[in-house]
Amino acid sequence: MIGFVVGKLFRAVMALLILVTLTFVVLRSAGDPADTFLPPNATQLEVDNFRAAWGLDRPLSVQLGAYLGNIARGDLGRSFQDGRPVTVVIGERIPATLTLLGLAFLVMIALGIPLGVLAALNHGTLIDRAIMVISVIGYSLPNFFLGVLLILVFAVNLRWLPSTGNSSAAALIMPVITIGTTSSAIITRFVRAAVLDVLARPHVRAARARGLRALPVITGHVLPNAAIPTVTLIGFLLGGLVAGGVITETVFAWPGIGRLTVTAAANRDLAVVQGIVLLIGASMVIANLTVDLLYGWLDPRIRIGGRER
Amino acid sequence: MSELSSADHSTTHSRPAARIPAMVMIASVWIGLLLIVVIFADLLTPHDVMRSDLRARLQPPLLFGGTWAHPLGTDELGRDMFSRLLISIRVSMLVAFAGTVIGAVLGTLLGMLAAARGGFTDDVIMMLVDVQAALPFIILALAVIAFLGGGLTLFVIVVGLYGWERYARIARGLTLAAREDGYAVATANLGAGAVRIYLVHILPNIISALVVAFTVNFPETMLLETSLSFLGLGIQPPSTSLGTMLGDGRDYLTTAWWIAVAPGIVIALTGIAVSVIGDWLRDLFDPSATGAVGGR
Repeated sequence: MIGFVVGKLFRAVMALLILVTLTFVVLRSAGDPADTFLPPNATQLEVDNFRAAWGLDRPLSVQLGAYLGNIARGDLGRSFQDGRPVTVVIGERIPATLTLLGLAFLVMIALGIPLGVLAALNHGTLIDRAIMVISVIGYSLPNFFLGVLLILVFAVNLRWLPSTGNSSAAALIMPVITIGTTSSAIITRFVRAAVLDVLARPHVRAARARGLRALPVITGHVLPNAAIPTVTLIGFLLGGLVAGGVITETVFAWPGIGRLTVTAAANRDLAVVQGIVLLIGASMVIANLTVDLLYGWLDPRIRIGGRER
Repeated sequence: MSELSSADHSTTHSRPAARIPAMVMIASVWIGLLLIVVIFADLLTPHDVMRSDLRARLQPPLLFGGTWAHPLGTDELGRDMFSRLLISIRVSMLVAFAGTVIGAVLGTLLGMLAAARGGFTDDVIMMLVDVQAALPFIILALAVIAFLGGGLTLFVIVVGLYGWERYARIARGLTLAAREDGYAVATANLGAGAVRIYLVHILPNIISALVVAFTVNFPETMLLETSLSFLGLGIQPPSTSLGTMLGDGRDYLTTAWWIAVAPGIVIALTGIAVSVIGDWLRDLFDPSATGAVGGR
């Protein structure tokens, strides 16, 4: 088990290192930030001073080394835009995004799992088909279109909810629904398939044949077994949640990381964009690691005899 | 009802592909219509997409007080929305198709290369796969496009890089398995070169799984394109895509909702259609998966 964890950790760190290096090289070679942030009539001296001040005059490999060293000390550099530390610029946006994505995650689980189970238990019936049709629609509806539709109905026509901003708790409702429902569609499909799969297994059939009532069979045999693949999927879905957050935050002008990504990229604020890539990359890696460990906890076979397979 | 008959057919395997479910038919008709638009968009547009008519600004669509002159209404510059929608469909479909093809070819080649070479090459490629899978791609795409500028070629390449890792995983796994099959061993014993074995003999045998991956990837690539264009980082005016149109329409939600709704509906319907066809293809190619993932 320890070897399993260490191996996973090593791969995770390597993946992050490659990610940071790739973004660094691609973004740094994309053009001189001095062109973006200095006025067009800046003198050569001003340009040189700017480049020296930001360390842009050194070779790329030296810059990369310094950048990686600084990351290790928790320093992500400073925003080109206003000179504040990147950790502060990003840090102040994290609560808004965590609130939004956290609630969306709850909606996703609360909606997706019961619907999936319901569809599987009523396999082939009208309920099943209705749920699957809704989930295909939810899956195909882009975040930005669902967001725009919600604004149109609830903010423009009915005037029940504020269309943008974070002035009140009501402002959270539409963005949470937007991200939560589109993600739950995937969970529904997956949970349905997982439950159907378990339902067909011999031990469930045996439990049923022994005359166990339906509910105990479901809670005692079907759901725990269907939970294993579902946990893995939820780990994968976190990435989709974050990506959906970028779009949805922009649609609803929600002041989180996603909107910061779009504005920082548009302003060519190198350090901030790199910081965000690192933050999200690290979150994803940690999430996947957690899923791997959860998986081991849920499925003893992986914990004990993983190597013998 | 159509679902029932399709279930029967997939369990009995009596006449493969003899009956196509109604949903798949409808989805195929929609995709067919889109293809016609892609090919003949120039002939189908009733108005010049670029021509603005300030006297006919923000006219509503046909059933909402509009006229046949502009069946989907007009935008803030008085440009005909129907004509713009057709051109946008063409641009979005072409970018999504090109992007999906780039990802498929790149991923398949890298996946087969990883399987063929093994060792260090395999490790490096699989590490890149992990990196690609670990990050929401849209963030990287946003950054790269914002920093490298908004040319169409770069945009298509960036969109094309999305999802390559899926093909790489599939191709690698299937190639490893196929290499041990009799036909691959036989051609190798007959003295065929590596390139010939992998591209001429193994590739056709693993292509069905890759085609299914293609149908999964296509709507997602289209979503990436429309998302980036929606954010103003993709297709740039005066050119237009479904995402660009939706993004423009967002500013006119209170006065002219149809600008955003028409392209949004096209995106959603296309996504649904490709998903339906993809599910059906998967069931067709991989009958063993029907019990587990064959949900419609």
